[in-house]
Amino acid sequence: MSGTPMTGSSMTGSLTAFPEIVRLTFRQQLGRRRTLLLVLLAALPPLLALIFRAFGEVDVSRFTDRVFDLVSMTIVLPLATVLFGTGAFGAENDEGTILYLLAKPISRWVIVAAKAFAAVALSLVLTVASVLVAGAIEVVPAGSAGVSATEAYVGAMVVGSLCYVLLFLTLSLFTRRALVLGIGYSLVWEGALSSLLPGIANLSVRQYALGVADSFYQLHQQAARLSPTTALTLSAILIVVALALATWRLMHFELSGSTD
Amino acid sequence: MTAQTLPAGDQAVAAPAIELANAARWYGNVVAVNDVSFSLGAGVTGLLGPNGAGKTTLLHMLAGFLAPSAGTVHVLGRSPHRDPSVYRQIGLVPERESVYAFLTGYEYVRFNARLQGMRNADSAARASIARVGLEDAADRAIGTYSKGMRQRVKVAGALVHDPQVLLLDEPFNGMDPRQRLSMMDLLVEMAGAGRTILFSSHILEEVERIGTEILVLVAGRLAASGDFRAIRALMTDRPHTITIRSSDDRRLATTLMADPAVFAVELKENALSVQTAHLSAFRRIIATAGRTAGVRLTEVVPADESLESVFDYLVRR
Repeated sequence: MSGTPMTGSSMTGSLTAFPEIVRLTFRQQLGRRRTLLLVLLAALPPLLALIFRAFGEVDVSRFTDRVFDLVSMTIVLPLATVLFGTGAFGAENDEGTILYLLAKPISRWVIVAAKAFAAVALSLVLTVASVLVAGAIEVVPAGSAGVSATEAYVGAMVVGSLCYVLLFLTLSLFTRRALVLGIGYSLVWEGALSSLLPGIANLSVRQYALGVADSFYQLHQQAARLSPTTALTLSAILIVVALALATWRLMHFELSGSTD
Repeated sequence: MTAQTLPAGDQAVAAPAIELANAARWYGNVVAVNDVSFSLGAGVTGLLGPNGAGKTTLLHMLAGFLAPSAGTVHVLGRSPHRDPSVYRQIGLVPERESVYAFLTGYEYVRFNARLQGMRNADSAARASIARVGLEDAADRAIGTYSKGMRQRVKVAGALVHDPQVLLLDEPFNGMDPRQRLSMMDLLVEMAGAGRTILFSSHILEEVERIGTEILVLVAGRLAASGDFRAIRALMTDRPHTITIRSSDDRRLATTLMADPAVFAVELKENALSVQTAHLSAFRRIIATAGRTAGVRLTEVVPADESLESVFDYLVRR
């Protein structure tokens, strides 16, 4: 046999594995039709910005409330992250190819980190680009307020992408209904229930993202309920806990019951 | 029951590569593997059994993806469960067909090499692909492969790092006869180089060709183990049950009972159930008996030729 495995620690193998798994995940995700739908969805804020620009005067506050908050934060970000987050391991689980990753001498956290990295990167590219382009068209020309509003929602997309993706990726390792649960989380928990129960803010990724956004730009209609410090702290806790849980899950992975 | 597959020479004194001691695995009330013990050294061993016998469960335990509910499972001297480092020395070919359809065969095998931490992943991937005879299709997407080609690329991915132990679950599924022969030759060659290879199959003829040693698993239990030819002889010499319909079953039964090759006759409704240990001899006996008794034979059917009945016989022995 011509191949020779490297000797030494599993860290060396993990270093070569990380970019391979990231590349694999990119190709898995980008080959799906739903990614094309997400691209079309992400094009909505820039499209709305063009419409705003064509038919009215620049109003940073109104655009922020109606496009950044209602479209980017409420639709594009949750949908992109739930699809990329659950899709990172979803296909591997459904098709059984996860075995090809797990039957390798690499640390389980490396597999989780590589999958999460790819899913977060895809979500970031889509959501941040969407906000940046929309902001550049409509509000940045209005001056510093417009720049701050755009920066605020870019920050929200970064924090939101990280937290949502980690949350949904981890969820997908525990249940096959992660996609439905993820959408339910953003619609019911963060949407309907959060307006009734203010305490939910501590368990809402949307509020973490808005809390960070609020440090750049004073939000109006959807006032952030968490301070930026609290939002960042809770975000960090969520990310660490999700990574730990996902790693634990892979370490304890067992093939489902078969009597063949 | 214990199987010992120990090769000649130095390997004979080495620790077995695979060792199960009273290993069992159950899911709730369902027992998939029950009190199985065996040890294997270098060589090819066939794990034979009907569907649902527990072969896949056993292989998954060996591959570290299932913990034994009782007993111990060791591969190369250690428990493979929750120990990723063991995969440096294990190659696994799972039964499920799915492989990353968007990758080319070469990319898939190279991916496996990279995940094994191999520096020479490119050349190792090319060499592994050549070993399974997929050079011509190496740069095509796996999604375009036939079932047999997918099996071969899975094998190429599993042996790219030259593992000491190779576990294959129904590796010949979907392969045409030529591909099967080629794969069998490859496994024999690897075994000759000191590797331990365990493959499962529910088809006797697959095991017959390469598995000099076999383990027969039936309903989760190790029904037989050892040299294939000895077990094959047991299977051949086992009692065969034959159902006969004739114009006068009772008279035919009396005649047949006089023949030493027949050791049981049962009168059933509109049929006779006859047991014999010598199937070929019985074909001659039944024709003679029919003439002697003056009885017209309307149907002579072997009743138990399924593989399951062969396994069932081995369990009851």
